[in-house]
Amino acid sequence: MTDELKFPERSDRDALAEPLVRLLRDAYAPPGNPASAEAYWHGLEQRILARTSVANFANADGQWWSVLGGWAQAGLVAAAAIFALAGALNQRFNASESQFVYESMLQQNTPEVLSAPTDLLAAPEGSRSDATLIYVLSH
Amino acid sequence: MNDPARIPHEERALAEAARAGDHDAFAGLVRLHQRRAYLVARAIVTVHEDAEDAVQDGFVRAFQALDRFDPRQAFGPWLNRIVANAALDLARRRKVRSTEELHDALQSPFRDPGEDAELRSRLADALAELPERARSVIVMHDVEGFTHVEIGEMLGIPGGTARSDLHHARQKLRVLLKDLRG
Repeated sequence: MTDELKFPERSDRDALAEPLVRLLRDAYAPPGNPASAEAYWHGLEQRILARTSVANFANADGQWWSVLGGWAQAGLVAAAAIFALAGALNQRFNASESQFVYESMLQQNTPEVLSAPTDLLAAPEGSRSDATLIYVLSH
Repeated sequence: MNDPARIPHEERALAEAARAGDHDAFAGLVRLHQRRAYLVARAIVTVHEDAEDAVQDGFVRAFQALDRFDPRQAFGPWLNRIVANAALDLARRRKVRSTEELHDALQSPFRDPGEDAELRSRLADALAELPERARSVIVMHDVEGFTHVEIGEMLGIPGGTARSDLHHARQKLRVLLKDLRG
C-alpha cells in the first residue's frame, strides 16, 4: 500500500461551479485569439528584451566607468608624481640658470685687478685730490 | 515544483548561461515564462495594460538579480515571485481601481463576444466587490491553478492565509452570483 492510497488527495469540495470557473477563466484569458496570440507574445517578448538590453547597457556603462574610476585613481597618483618631479627639475634648472647669469654678470663687470693710476699716486697733495676728482668723473 | 531533478534541462542550461551574461539565453527564459508571468501579474493588477507593465518590470528586476539566482532551483517560481512583487508595487501606486474600471477591464479586450454579456457584467461587478488580495487568490487558484503555498509565496502571505482567503472569496462570489444560472 502506498502513501497515496493511505492519504488520497482531498477533493476540492469548496470549488466553484464549473460554469462560473469557465466565466472567470474567460475574463482573465491572456490576450489574443489563437491566430493573433503568437504575434502578441512575440511583441511582448521584444518589449521585455528591449528593456533588459537597456538595463544591460546601463550596467555595462557603469562597469566601464568603474574600470575607468580604478584606472583614474592610479593615473592621478602617477600624474601627481610626474608633476612633482617636473616641478623639482624646473626649480633646479631655474636655480642653476640664475647662478650662471649671476656669475657671468660678476665676471663681466668686475675688473680682475683693481689698480690706482700711477700718475695719481705720484702727484703732489694738492693736485692729487684734483686728480682723484678728475678720475672719478671720467669713469 | 522546485525539485532540481524535475527542472527541464533546457531551462537549467538557459538559466546558467543567462547568469553568465548571455542575453540570448535570457531571451529564451522570457519565451518560456512570459505567459505564466503575465497571468500572475494580471491576477494582481487586473487591468491588462498594468499587467504588461508589471511583467516587463518583473523581467527587468529578474535580469538585474540574476547573480542572486541559484540555477539549481526552478526559474519559474523565482521569476513569478519577482513579477508578483512588481505587480503589488504597481497596484499600490495605482491605489484602488474604481469598480467601473475593473468592470471594463474584465469586459474587454480579449473576451469571447458570444458569451453572455450580462453574465460577464455580473461577474465583473462581483469580483469588484472582493478585497484585492482575495481577488488575486481566487484568480491565481481557480483560473491559473497555483497551489496555496505558491500563492502564499508570491503574495508574501502564509499558505494557510491563502487557503482561507480563497474560501472566503468563493463564498462571497457564490452569494453575489446566486441568482445566475449554474
